[in-house]
Amino acid sequence: MVKGKISLNENGVEDTVNIHDDVETIKSKKRKAALTWYIFLLPSFLGILLFMVYPIVESFRLSFFRSNGTIETFIGFSNFQLVLTSKTFWNTVWNTFFIGFFQIFLTIPLGFIFASLINSIRRGQNFFKVVYFLPNVTSIVAAAMIFQFVLHPEMGVVNYALDAIGLPTSTWFSDPSTSKWGVILLAVWHWIGFVIIICLANLQAISPEMYEAAKIDGASGLQQWLFITIPNMSGTFAFLLITGWIGSLQRFNEVYVLGGPNGSPARSIQTMGAFIYERGFTGFEFGIASAATYIMFVIILIFTFINLKVSKMQL
Amino acid sequence: MEKVKHFWLMLLFLLMVVIVTVGCSPDDTAGDGDGSESNDDVVEGDWEGQTINVQLIGDFDMEDSTDPITGEKTQGLQVIKDEFESQHPGATVEFTIMPWEGYTEKTQAMITSGEADVYQMPGIADFAAQGVLEPLEPYIEEDPDFDLDRFIDNQVEGWKALGPDSDELGIWGLPFLGDARFIAYDKQLFDEWGVEYLSEYPTMEEVAEKAKQMTGTNPETGEQNYGIWFRGDWSSAFTLINLAEGQNGSWGSGFAWDEIEFNFDSPEMESGLEWLLEMQEYAPEGLVSDQGSEKWLTQDNDIAIMLNQGPGDTIMPAYAQGLGERIGIVQEFKNDEGVGGMFAGSPITMAKDSDNKELAWEWMKFATSETVQQYVFEEANGMPAIQAAESWESYAEVENLMAPTMEAMSTPWTPRYPWASSQPRFILTSEVEAALTGERSAKEAVEKAQKESEEWLENRN
Repeated sequence: MVKGKISLNENGVEDTVNIHDDVETIKSKKRKAALTWYIFLLPSFLGILLFMVYPIVESFRLSFFRSNGTIETFIGFSNFQLVLTSKTFWNTVWNTFFIGFFQIFLTIPLGFIFASLINSIRRGQNFFKVVYFLPNVTSIVAAAMIFQFVLHPEMGVVNYALDAIGLPTSTWFSDPSTSKWGVILLAVWHWIGFVIIICLANLQAISPEMYEAAKIDGASGLQQWLFITIPNMSGTFAFLLITGWIGSLQRFNEVYVLGGPNGSPARSIQTMGAFIYERGFTGFEFGIASAATYIMFVIILIFTFINLKVSKMQL
Repeated sequence: MEKVKHFWLMLLFLLMVVIVTVGCSPDDTAGDGDGSESNDDVVEGDWEGQTINVQLIGDFDMEDSTDPITGEKTQGLQVIKDEFESQHPGATVEFTIMPWEGYTEKTQAMITSGEADVYQMPGIADFAAQGVLEPLEPYIEEDPDFDLDRFIDNQVEGWKALGPDSDELGIWGLPFLGDARFIAYDKQLFDEWGVEYLSEYPTMEEVAEKAKQMTGTNPETGEQNYGIWFRGDWSSAFTLINLAEGQNGSWGSGFAWDEIEFNFDSPEMESGLEWLLEMQEYAPEGLVSDQGSEKWLTQDNDIAIMLNQGPGDTIMPAYAQGLGERIGIVQEFKNDEGVGGMFAGSPITMAKDSDNKELAWEWMKFATSETVQQYVFEEANGMPAIQAAESWESYAEVENLMAPTMEAMSTPWTPRYPWASSQPRFILTSEVEAALTGERSAKEAVEKAQKESEEWLENRN
């Protein structure tokens, strides 16, 4: 069987060209190829639908119910009202932002300084990169358990060092006023390796010609660092700021290990994530936990939007 | 050429789909992943073809292993499985073992999807109210071979709960693992300080006085000693409630949520918290973050009295460290009726949607028989829940610590605190912590705990 296609020859006379079925056009070939790749994407897409989209939708539905997992009652926006008027929840928001703020605004400058120092040495760069990156590959749960001993009031190495140099010691995780700082110390220690590696990658991408030109113009090392290095790092700083904040606002693992679901002592290190866990998985209040999850999502969304605007980062 | 390429790509894709499908599909003939094996060659018998899945929490293992504390070889659950299956020809029992970490949500997930027939279920009150459990009274009444007298006093009472439509407490679970709270102390430190051992039923005054006497530099060793220690975070709410009970107070009343009335701001609770604040002066720093007691149950121990202790962390570890005779156990604070202390442990329950309820009931009887209870005590470092334990040889070897533990198991506050896994527990814990860290006075803390717990209850109802 052939398909007929009419066309005009050079003399303007009608001519017929026969095209066989089995000859594919370029368009149909492209369509088939694209279809093949869609089929390849299907398993992972199904996984996302099942394990991400469905729980997100289900959690949204649950946020309008009083639910203990099996028995459900529709209560409208009551869960949202309860969470938004809960002092405990706003305390967790404060804790989350407090720990996140100091983690980020200590780690990024410190990490950048360390990266600059590592970048300026000629030998042993890889050694220092590995040493500084090691904490980041350590499990945060294991690190949190070790930090409990590091910051132990009587046997801890930090108090021992403070005492040795004549500074006052602290009870760290046993005092609500210092427990947050214990978490911040742990978070800085854990994240700084990542910050150093990212900063180093950017530092090594800055053209040496700029430094040579500055040297010819008589710029000192500090001036080069201030007026060439730092302006060229702005994209990296923005990236670290945004990813750092998102990670900080989701903080759960280390505070759960250090203070349990209620962020002991006296809820001083309970974060938004821990609040959700406490209400959902220890008290069977899945509706409240779901509502708190969506409120946390909105908070992260708004804050990330502000961060993007402030840092002028392009998505 | 292009067609051939497409053909091979599609073939590869299909192959991957088949592998993933086969890999993820349930395999009825395989073990359940925790080392149990199905019995393909079932013996002909009354229970032909029936299978039950039993969920267990904690230090259970299908295979034989070495105990990390005592260094002794322990038998796996396989011996229990073999024994049950030999007693019930044709039946198969499979186990799903989970760690204590996150057991509540895992149990919720399992029972919602009908994964097991019998559950070890400390949170029985929450699940019975959901209507997912089978009431056990009919089975108990109709079974002439079963008698509730086998259990230690108060154990059955302690696990009673309310069903979804019932107004009276009923039996939804049988005691499986026993547990208790008691006061432990170091006899050696008492001897070194020349202080008389704690009496069997100490009062708050006695504990306070002796703790005060033993805080300071040990007259014999010259080491710093502390009179007392208690956990200031996770379990501090229960320590405080026991102090109130010791003064004839209580946490409140009721069991169903719409009947519960909290008593967190009672004078007994306030004075109990004041007492804890006083005791903090005789304790090492760090108790609010579960620190300071690292030397307990070691040869270098520096703490004389430990409040609110449990048998799992005390009895076998003490013997493993060669301190079996050095450690003493006395009762927590009791009211005038001799009752006080948190009720704890694990019951076993039957799922309402179990397909083999008769066999599940047979397992429940078996699990509370001497065979399994002795196995739990000797091989899994668990406390038995039956009275017959007192006649075992293994019990006699550790009797000086087990006898007061059994006494503690028979005199806790029953029924168990219905709010023990809910928000009021965390509210009270946080307020005890706030008082211990100087954020609030004892009075302010208990009043805030009362107010927040009442508000929570109001919203819940």
